[in-house]
Amino acid sequence: MRNLIRSEVLKTRSTQVWLWMILPAAALTALSTIGQTYGSIYDNEHGGAAIRYYDIFTTANGGGVALLVIGILGLTTEFRHKTITPTLLAIPGRWTLLVGKAISYAIFAFFYAVICIVVNFAIAIPWLDAKGIPVEFGHGVPGGVVKAFLALLMTALFGLGLGALVRNQAAAMVIGIFYFAIISNLLSVIPWVRHWIYPWSPGGALDAFISNGTIRNTADDVHRLAPLNGGLLFLVWTLVLLGAGGYFSLNRDIS
Amino acid sequence: MTAPPGGTSAVRGRIVVDRLTKVFGTQRAVDELSFTVEPGSVTGFLGPNGAGKTTTLRMLLGLIEPTSGTATINGVRYASLPAPLEAVGAALEASSFHPAHTGLQHLRIYCAAAGLPARRADEVLDLVGLRDAAKKKTKGYSMGMRQRLGLASTLLGDPRVLILDEPANGLDPEGIRWLRGFFRHLAGEGRTVLVSSHQLAEVQEVADRVVILNRGRLVRSGTMAELSAGTSTAVVRGPNLHPLQQALVAAGLTGSTEADGSLRVQTDDLRHIGQLAFQHGVELHELSLSRFDLEQLFFSLTEGAHQGSDLGAYTPNGHAPAHERTRQP
Repeated sequence: MRNLIRSEVLKTRSTQVWLWMILPAAALTALSTIGQTYGSIYDNEHGGAAIRYYDIFTTANGGGVALLVIGILGLTTEFRHKTITPTLLAIPGRWTLLVGKAISYAIFAFFYAVICIVVNFAIAIPWLDAKGIPVEFGHGVPGGVVKAFLALLMTALFGLGLGALVRNQAAAMVIGIFYFAIISNLLSVIPWVRHWIYPWSPGGALDAFISNGTIRNTADDVHRLAPLNGGLLFLVWTLVLLGAGGYFSLNRDIS
Repeated sequence: MTAPPGGTSAVRGRIVVDRLTKVFGTQRAVDELSFTVEPGSVTGFLGPNGAGKTTTLRMLLGLIEPTSGTATINGVRYASLPAPLEAVGAALEASSFHPAHTGLQHLRIYCAAAGLPARRADEVLDLVGLRDAAKKKTKGYSMGMRQRLGLASTLLGDPRVLILDEPANGLDPEGIRWLRGFFRHLAGEGRTVLVSSHQLAEVQEVADRVVILNRGRLVRSGTMAELSAGTSTAVVRGPNLHPLQQALVAAGLTGSTEADGSLRVQTDDLRHIGQLAFQHGVELHELSLSRFDLEQLFFSLTEGAHQGSDLGAYTPNGHAPAHERTRQP
């Protein structure tokens, strides 16, 4: 397994993709942080609302789409460039390969997640400070940061599973990004669906995991599972995708 | 004394394909195929397009799951080999490279996967003559360079068995000559080389044995000596060959008279014919030997595939269809 992880790390480091993917991860986190911090400060200054520290410091998860893409690349690149053949000649055990990839991509995601959190802090803390707003890490913020970190890791693995199931790289990208950017948001607003389907969907589970456990806007009638349950459900979705990808796709003939 | 695991197929470097079958939908791509490749030999794996060569090689390497039958190397399935790259080197496609990787990076990735030292990548690049292109991205490689890189990757683990699918494609004449010497060198070291190819003249030059497929079935296998036995023909031309023809019959030699009046005698002993011609005062304009031609054999065995006719109905020289004569039990 150590050899496989070394090989995967080398495989990724040997291209510039890992470097270029830092840009969207950092940019998406920066945009989310700017939006959340600006909105919170605006509400505070104009309506006297309390600063939403929890929301500000969990927007590192905004880089999730980049982590999803990195995960998708993990296996689809092998199929796209036909390197799956020499890879399977070196590592004939397909489940071993999948587990090795999952560990490797969790390691990559760790570094990206650190970058996202650093970007979040680097924008929000000086901004709040400049406005004379005390930076407080109460309000469940430490737990929220940890959850945002774990959510990024799991999102990368979710992408890996999606890429194992949908071997076509372009199709996997479109499905993954379209789902998290549009479909999931739609599910969260459609009556009945938002009560009975959205909370159990991957997007709803991830949303619940990142939330601070309260239904913030009751007017929106948003329904979520409890954060821990949401995290566990998203983990189950990730494992189901990896398992299904391993079973249906990786076990197919490589011709 | 106890038999090794896998029985007789467990000999190091031996490839055993036993009643291997693969069905895709309604099509039997490989049909009850059986053959053995012995260590220390170069075996040509031949067949027209769609004959099932690549499917067979992929089943042998665990990339395609057989419908039935087994394919083993060293007595076990590929997936069960403890260190696969150190047992088998395989190159199936000339384009299995990430375009952004250099040749050296490509090889180092698989060195890492197999737990081999990174310097092995440099060594095999030297062996295949790609040292100068080691740090060039593979997207800039010519087909010949890709073939050489594929060959380099097969050598990473210094394996006893090499399985190569069309390795001569894209090579220039110099590259083909190099490849020929390379195969002989590998076989000389006692390695098993199984090579599928369309370049029949090249296969005839280097192979000790051939396995010929058509429509997923074995139509002929054997050593080159076995295949060529009794196939050499002496070609005799002259203004009046009648006295010689009678002398040849009297000497027990068989043959035929061609439309142009020349004789074709089934023998490789030209000296004997020359002596008979001299003794009978026959003037000769040509006395030459037409040697065994693998290409001719290949086309006779696979004619159905090329002409779209039924192979089973093809009976060269009035014999039974080739695959019926030569099917292994």
